[in-house]
Amino acid sequence: MLKKLTRFYHPKTIEEACQFLGNGEGRTAVIAGGTSAALRADSSLEALVDISHISELNYINKDAAFYRIGACTRVQDIYKSPDLKGPAGKLLQAAAGKIGSTLLRNAITAGGNLAGLFPWSDLPVAYMALDAEVVCRRGRPKRTVPVMSLIETRAPQFLAANEIIAEIIVPAYGPGTGTAFAKLAKTANDYALISLAVRLTLKDGAVNQARIAVNAITAQPVRCLDAEKLLEGKVLTEELTAEAANKAADSLNIRKDIRAGEEYRREVFVVMVRRALNEAFENANRKGGQQ
Amino acid sequence: MKLNTRINGRDLCLEIKPNATLLETLRQAGFKSVKFGCGEGMCGACAVLVDGKPRTSCITLAGTVEGSEILTVEGMGNPDQPHALQQAFVDAGATQCGYCNPGSLIAAKALLDSNPNPTAEDVKDALDGNLCRCSGYVKRIEAVLSAADSTASTTGQKKSTRGKK
Repeated sequence: MLKKLTRFYHPKTIEEACQFLGNGEGRTAVIAGGTSAALRADSSLEALVDISHISELNYINKDAAFYRIGACTRVQDIYKSPDLKGPAGKLLQAAAGKIGSTLLRNAITAGGNLAGLFPWSDLPVAYMALDAEVVCRRGRPKRTVPVMSLIETRAPQFLAANEIIAEIIVPAYGPGTGTAFAKLAKTANDYALISLAVRLTLKDGAVNQARIAVNAITAQPVRCLDAEKLLEGKVLTEELTAEAANKAADSLNIRKDIRAGEEYRREVFVVMVRRALNEAFENANRKGGQQ
Repeated sequence: MKLNTRINGRDLCLEIKPNATLLETLRQAGFKSVKFGCGEGMCGACAVLVDGKPRTSCITLAGTVEGSEILTVEGMGNPDQPHALQQAFVDAGATQCGYCNPGSLIAAKALLDSNPNPTAEDVKDALDGNLCRCSGYVKRIEAVLSAADSTASTTGQKKSTRGKK
């Protein structure tokens, strides 16, 4: 484990962190929560840049339309934050609260869940369902990208050597939008077998925007585009949710492992999607919005 | 590699290997209350407070706690002067083989520090990362709740005050 590691850097600012990463001396990686077993098993790494003490990466802010979450914000802080409200805030909290245990949530970070992307990561589906954007920084220069492009390319390939994930921007959404999160796992602390986030934004009673994002059942987080398209423009009925749930399952390349086979996951998934759609729809129709 | 931390209120500079975990480092420095359980962050026997937050020390690289404040059970109390939680664990019989106790006490302390009047649900949520092979889950919840009551009564806090630390 980390046999070649010789040094740690402890930058205090984003710019310093990017400098350490880009100085080209040996194989260097970022460490924040440090829960990734893959990172700790890497025998080629020579230096680690510990960004977990950078205060400008640790915050949850809200302005008129967006939540801004610093990349090094611990997921436990998201789970317990009194500032996260409404359909977006509640979805983030539901997903964050289902990650591992208290002890792990105090280590795992909002950005780390994207940088070290695993099939069982719970937050990415919430980001995807909310159409979140990610701010990446190379020292001072920054770019803001849709979360999906970071996930599809995967962070190690997407980010330049001296670039880090700095912030996640989540639209706050108001009344008329409902969200739901669901997770299937063998125990509360075990890796997810299915991780699911749903958002429905209504207009005149019909679905204007639908998002169904899944992970764990697949090798990497994906959206169920066919099912989303089926829902958009329609009023939710029992038949429609059932059809959408089946369509969502059909579009997936379902993973199997020692925990569960393909058929079992598919069968549970269809039920989970149907229920999550109903829950999100109810939340969207709530007077005064989802709280 | 040098590691500067404050452990149980004492500033220490420890000589460590760069790939050492916090668990190894603490045990080698004599803090034997910190237990090795699963070694992969699932069981919570190795929990310590890092800057007030309970974390699994077995998967935390020691290099990442540079400048941080660590608290282990040794820093909570001792047999002569036990912490209210330690006394409550004894009184409630919330111990069988005892291996999970240090981690559970640490997680419970973090809870009471931020929420002095927790509900049973709060306790369950806060101790969700501390597995007990003897399955003594009920008594430790009772223990944390009675410790909360006893500290509230000694410090004169009302049941309704939900103070921050």
